[in-house]
Amino acid sequence: MDARSLVKQFGNIRALDGASFNIKQGEIFGLIGPNGAGKTTTLRIICTLILPTSGTVKIFDLDAVTQAAEVRKIISYLPEEAGAYPNLSGWEYLEFMAKFSKTTATDIKQTINEAAAISGLGERLKDKAKTYSKGMKRRLLVARALMTRPKLAVLDEPASGLDVLHAYHVREIIKRYVKDYGVTVLLSSHNMLEVEYLCNRVALVNKGKIVVEGEPQELKTKFKSANLEEVFAKVVGYA
Amino acid sequence: MLKGFQSIFIKELKELIRDPKILLGMLVIPLVLFPILGLVLGYAAQTAQEQAQKATYLVIDNDGGNWSQTFITFLGSSIRTIVVNNITPQQVLEQGLLTQNNSTQFIEIPAGFSANMTAHTNGNLAITATVNVYGVFQGGGIFSDIGSSAFSVLVSSFNRYIAPDLVRTTQSTIIKGEIQTGIDPATLSGLMMLQSIALPITIMIMLTYSMQIAATSVAMEKEEKTLETLLTVPVDRFAILMGKLSSTIIVAGLASVAMMVGYNYVIGSMTIGMPTELSVDLVKLGLVPSPFGYLLLGISLFITLLSGLALAVILSAFASDVRGATAMVGYIYPLIFLPAMALMYLDINTLPLAIKAVFLAIPYSQPMIASKAVIMNDYATVIFGIVYVAVFTVVVMYIASRLFATEKILTAKLIFKRKGFRKTAEPTE
Repeated sequence: MDARSLVKQFGNIRALDGASFNIKQGEIFGLIGPNGAGKTTTLRIICTLILPTSGTVKIFDLDAVTQAAEVRKIISYLPEEAGAYPNLSGWEYLEFMAKFSKTTATDIKQTINEAAAISGLGERLKDKAKTYSKGMKRRLLVARALMTRPKLAVLDEPASGLDVLHAYHVREIIKRYVKDYGVTVLLSSHNMLEVEYLCNRVALVNKGKIVVEGEPQELKTKFKSANLEEVFAKVVGYA
Repeated sequence: MLKGFQSIFIKELKELIRDPKILLGMLVIPLVLFPILGLVLGYAAQTAQEQAQKATYLVIDNDGGNWSQTFITFLGSSIRTIVVNNITPQQVLEQGLLTQNNSTQFIEIPAGFSANMTAHTNGNLAITATVNVYGVFQGGGIFSDIGSSAFSVLVSSFNRYIAPDLVRTTQSTIIKGEIQTGIDPATLSGLMMLQSIALPITIMIMLTYSMQIAATSVAMEKEEKTLETLLTVPVDRFAILMGKLSSTIIVAGLASVAMMVGYNYVIGSMTIGMPTELSVDLVKLGLVPSPFGYLLLGISLFITLLSGLALAVILSAFASDVRGATAMVGYIYPLIFLPAMALMYLDINTLPLAIKAVFLAIPYSQPMIASKAVIMNDYATVIFGIVYVAVFTVVVMYIASRLFATEKILTAKLIFKRKGFRKTAEPTE
């Protein structure tokens, strides 16, 4: 995936100001930065939800603006703090979503079974989503995002607001899936420790710009920091 | 005072007062809606009275005696009259005399009127004279019988002038060109008004309720971000919109059928429990819709519901959550409440042209107008309404489809500024 000079203007607010970065196939790439830095806007442009004011995004050689319908066939998006349909069971929700990507009954069933295994929700999948805890809901949605084995999975704050065990489960799912199926993952987080644990490479975003990009270890060495939080603080001149 | 009560009370008050949506819904709408309704009713009443004063009343003199001349002179001193001699009420209709004179009422002085008057004034108090009043039924409405009641008032005045209870009146109503003897237009108007209240109230409830459901459905998707997810899967965005609308269309269709069944029951049971002397069989009088009328009314209801649902979907796209969406559809409630409340009491055909045009322009008036029009076999009005609302719905659905095809479905938001409100895009992280 290659993003070049992305600019997004919302009225008087410049949410993105020339952001450029690229992701290699099969890697987990993290966009990190504070609230309002432009992470979600970047992800939404990549996922064809909104158009960039200027700049280009190529995903496996497909243009996110002019070939949006084709892009949607190879990506999967998990919005931050997304929910499921409260009156559908977890199983029904997975089935509903699987039907958009798979056509035969066998493929649909196989996809749902895979999602069921990823989520680890077992028998609770038969219950309505409104009875799920926040952690269970997130596990369901992460499973939904990965079940179709997309070429690029875009995950916005995948473990945000989850307790330690649920967050651990979600991170393990992502790692395992990338390893087993070679899925490319782009995720955003303001939890730098999480990103450090999960990502092969990261880009630090601040005020709509990519301020630094590289492997976590490489950045920590370069900025003589103990962790990415410290790196970020130094890069933006806070420390 | 309870500990902490004051702080909580002030905080709640600030929250409520500073929310423009609540202010608009709770204060501005009632403060604007009811005065407008009052103005419409007042204006309609005034117009009806002026029309009654300006109207020409046909007087049929089948008596030709001295007393009939005295009575005609008395009537002529208060209202504008045209006197026709020796003609039956049926011939009045057949010869189109009412239409020619732009009149909706006439009074017949039957043969023997003068003889009876003379006998009474000569001391035979048991003998009284009778005049027959005929009024054309135009579909009901609170002011529709002002003309026929004018005759009653004048007869009472005449009696006060000559002798108490000397002249009696019989009331007959002309329904769809046929004379229904003994049917008082005032009683009929009252009965039809009961009927004309039931449907607008039900339509009002059904429209507002289904619009809330449609708006909530989209807002829930936005709030839960399931819409965001749906927009990134390989599915046509128009299919998402149509899927949403189609399910609401089915609900709207079921609601329309249920409404027709209920409405039919209301009409059938209208005379139950009424005193025998007031009992009027609406079916015999032809004052119930024909099967074709029911069909048209059902279509009118359905298309209006569809239009309301599509508009609710659009409006809810500008809200970020369920609360915002319900407030947003609240902005169109005046367009439902005003015609519903006004048309409960008014017959649109008796309204001044400007007000009539306003009501016709509001799509949500159409089923209410149709409910009265089908009874009078005025199918052209109903079909016009259906076509008008259908065109309006197509436009609304086109806008909705454009909205779903762009990022505006996620970013569009109505924000309130001090000087009015404008549409803007919502910044995201």
